[in-house]
Amino acid sequence: MPPKKQKEIEKDERLQAIVLTDSFETRFMPLTSVKPRCLLPLANVPLIEYTLEFLAKAGVDEVYLMCCSHADQIQDYIEQSKWNKPWAPFKIQTIMTLESRSVGDAMRDLDNRGLITGDFLLVSGDVVTNIQFDKVMEAHKQRRAEDKDHIATMVLTQASALHRTRSHAEPAVFILDEKNDRCLYYQDIPPIDGKKSAISIDPELLEGVDDFTIRNDLIDCHVDICSPHVPAIFQENFDYQYLRRDFVKGILSSDILKKTIYAYITDDYAARVESWQTYDAISQDILARWCYPIVPDSNFLENQSYTYEGQHIYKEDNVILAQSCKIGKSVAIGAGTSIGDGTVIENTVIGRDCKIGKNITIKNAYIWDNAVIEDDSTLEWSIIANGAEVGQGAKLSKGSVIGFDVKISQGQELGKDVRVSAKKVENNNRSFVNSSDEDFEDDEDDEDADSFDVSVVGSQGVGYVYESEESDYEDDCAKPVNSLMYQIGSLALSDDSIISQVVKQKKKRSYSTTSVMTDYEEENFEKEAIATLERALDQNHDIDTALLELNTLRMSMNVTYHEVRSATLSTLLKRIEHFIETDTLNTKQATEKIFKQWGPLFQRQVFEESEQVDLLNIANGLVAKSSTLDDSVMLYVLSILYDQEIVEEEQILEWYHGNKIANPLVKRFIDWLEEAEEDSDEE
Amino acid sequence: MSSQAKDINFQTDSFVEKLKRRQISGSYQVALETCQLLMKFVAATRWTHIDQLIVQIRLLGKRLESAQPREFSCGNVIRRVLALIRDEAHEDNNNNNQQTQNTTDSNNGPMISSMFSLLSITAEKSEQEPQSKARYHDLKSAIIQGIKDLIDEISSIDEGIESMAIDLIHDNEILLTPTPDSQTVLKFLLKAAKQKRKFTVLVTENYPNGTEKAHSFVKELTKAKIDTVLIPDSHVFAVMSRVGKVIVGARSVFANGGTVSTAGVAAVCECAKEYKTPVFTVAGLYKLSPTYPFDVENLIEIGNSGKVIKFSESELFHNTDVTNPLFDYIPPEHIDIYITNIGGFAPSFIYRIVLDNYKNEDVYLS
Repeated sequence: MPPKKQKEIEKDERLQAIVLTDSFETRFMPLTSVKPRCLLPLANVPLIEYTLEFLAKAGVDEVYLMCCSHADQIQDYIEQSKWNKPWAPFKIQTIMTLESRSVGDAMRDLDNRGLITGDFLLVSGDVVTNIQFDKVMEAHKQRRAEDKDHIATMVLTQASALHRTRSHAEPAVFILDEKNDRCLYYQDIPPIDGKKSAISIDPELLEGVDDFTIRNDLIDCHVDICSPHVPAIFQENFDYQYLRRDFVKGILSSDILKKTIYAYITDDYAARVESWQTYDAISQDILARWCYPIVPDSNFLENQSYTYEGQHIYKEDNVILAQSCKIGKSVAIGAGTSIGDGTVIENTVIGRDCKIGKNITIKNAYIWDNAVIEDDSTLEWSIIANGAEVGQGAKLSKGSVIGFDVKISQGQELGKDVRVSAKKVENNNRSFVNSSDEDFEDDEDDEDADSFDVSVVGSQGVGYVYESEESDYEDDCAKPVNSLMYQIGSLALSDDSIISQVVKQKKKRSYSTTSVMTDYEEENFEKEAIATLERALDQNHDIDTALLELNTLRMSMNVTYHEVRSATLSTLLKRIEHFIETDTLNTKQATEKIFKQWGPLFQRQVFEESEQVDLLNIANGLVAKSSTLDDSVMLYVLSILYDQEIVEEEQILEWYHGNKIANPLVKRFIDWLEEAEEDSDEE
Repeated sequence: MSSQAKDINFQTDSFVEKLKRRQISGSYQVALETCQLLMKFVAATRWTHIDQLIVQIRLLGKRLESAQPREFSCGNVIRRVLALIRDEAHEDNNNNNQQTQNTTDSNNGPMISSMFSLLSITAEKSEQEPQSKARYHDLKSAIIQGIKDLIDEISSIDEGIESMAIDLIHDNEILLTPTPDSQTVLKFLLKAAKQKRKFTVLVTENYPNGTEKAHSFVKELTKAKIDTVLIPDSHVFAVMSRVGKVIVGARSVFANGGTVSTAGVAAVCECAKEYKTPVFTVAGLYKLSPTYPFDVENLIEIGNSGKVIKFSESELFHNTDVTNPLFDYIPPEHIDIYITNIGGFAPSFIYRIVLDNYKNEDVYLS
């Protein structure tokens, strides 16, 4: 009998790990439109490998990969990798959670699946670390024994405020109990921009604490040991989106939950590739062996053959170097790459089968597999993705990102921070994060569908410039603190200023809405949603509050966005009817008044192109049904939605032609749209 | 059988992964585990001719070597086993030749004259099969026994070295060891102390990679009531004039008599040379490598830069390159004697021991 008992204990102690492969961010656009972030190569090894290596070393028994965007690619990759072989150190399973739009959604999905049996390791799919995990686990268990409310241990790396490997896009302050590293408060702070910022702390949080430290020098690598309560807490608080900003802060400032979170501060290396700036820094760290034994010459991939030479130079077999080329410090070169005469390379990673011509200067560039760099060009602080070509004499300035299969013709000079992709990347509002960004500027570039951005890629070039949604921020916000070092860092854009406000409002409301919801659970969604919206319209709530309530309803009743859209539209149109019937406003004024104010609701109800068409269909149906509303309403609605960039031109056309709309007023609008497009084509 | 073969494939693959991940490290550990793996490998592999086994083991050896290219004991053990197989095969062949001579003699006896005798020959041939099968099993078990002996040898290696301690360490002598990470050196010193020798040991601090090990080394020595002085690495030259012997633990010994040891040892040996202090290198036989150190730079592993300066401070030095070599190469002329489990040898004699233990054709596995 005793052996059996032992086996049971072992079974209980199997360690599970959840890997969040999606970051739910757009910092690596346009590259992430083709490949998921966790498969982008870092020092010629896909990012996910670093995470899995860490888990293997940590002695994890089961790994679940939560996949969202490009989930199929991740699944294919894992199936073919060594991790899927019978001798892999752990069982690996990919979980498709395609519906998730934030870390919170993924956690709720996880809770629904009921996979978690004990304390588990939660990491993001872009962690690079060599921490000794057994020590962390020991600390976690010890604290767990002392404090039964302890639900999570965060691993934080000791760094400095302006450390290059520290995130400059998402810095955060941790307030810790001096005595036992209990985390008392967490506050994300605005990106480093030289401006002063302040944090306010509720004095109640510090009650009963003798000494505390405020730390703004830690790298948060998103390696957490969580108790099984954590997914449940996400489930209970369905407005939680972010792991840190919502969850950690929520737990710490909540009077009801009474849970505690501890920090584990390590001197070892642990960091997250979450922006171009950290991509650059971590690549350099790996080359300079800060993360030993995670170094290129460990050859984690089975077919790799890196060997180390002095000055942090790594070469695979079968690299062809011209006699007069100069390979400086911190360079890794993949197999099959050839480098021509007189080329100078420094602090650079070059992938496999690249062709690097003569007399090229490459500094701090990351060149992925199969890229071609022709003679006399200059590359500084840039990223050249797989299969891209840079023509003769081209000059890439700091921060350029050349996407997959892009061609830059000869002699082109790219300005700072230009990002080019071979396929046009729509700023499609994939997540809540982006949709809350209210930029109403008309993008002239979007109009021309077929011709490449010749001014940038040159006459024979292939590629479009990717306009970041947050480009407005760049000038005032991303001032490089230390010009050279942070050049790529300036690419990392902030998108949190608006979000943080949203989050604050959400928090206040979350409890009240929970109680409302339970009363009406049986009621049908549409009725409830319309009532909610009417209340919002009457009492002139702000949009975020209304949205939150709607979202709460949607989640509790488990309906799709289609129903939400239909309920919202019918409320708004009813309101317009009301104005018209009471003769307070004419049709145009009423529509404008309602939709100008409430139209932005759709920004967070409409995410994909097909949904845009759906929105228009619903609107058209409702207008047709109504007796008071005439055809003109549809025209006004269309133009307002178009101005607000909720529906795009292409989708309007698709909707119009697809449904054979016989509305003369709408036809005029469509004609105007088509003309405008032709005009811009001619330009 | 196929499941057994599959199983051994899993085991080798997971072993390679572990080596890469450095979950198995330290030359002693690696040598032992490699032996265990080889034993299973030989047990699971089938061959019709012994050369097939040799080819397979060489392939395996190549993989293991490239998994941790600077852990030489792994390659050494494989070469030892290869030599063992070749010896067994040779012996077997000799026996076989004698036997076949006998059998052909007996076969030549009756002439094939009828249908019956034809049949009777085939019957005889089928009788021969199990005989060769028995030989195959004999050979297999001989090889496995050989590997077992090798495991015994490796695990009892310190005893052979320890036994020489009393002859080499004298009373009131001052010893210096720059390799506090070596268990062999520790046991060597403890053994001498047990035999009532009174001596003083100076231990270098081995900053930054071996400081913790140096501390526990010193603790062990003081527990055995040996006079111990912990000195910083920079102090070696100043004390060298008073030191009687330098005792170095080797990581690997090459055929030319040179050795790879912990970083910092080369400088210590250089100081010893200046003062004509004898340098003793202790090493188990499994650390003896038949290769020559042609490219010294390639033998040296570069470790974690974060040990030299803290990662949190690296930003202050972002224009400085930090390297942290873990090993040092010491040329044969800086070493006076090697103390192994089979006796003490001059560096110039090492090639001879290499010849005794390894076969020339296995020096390069690829």
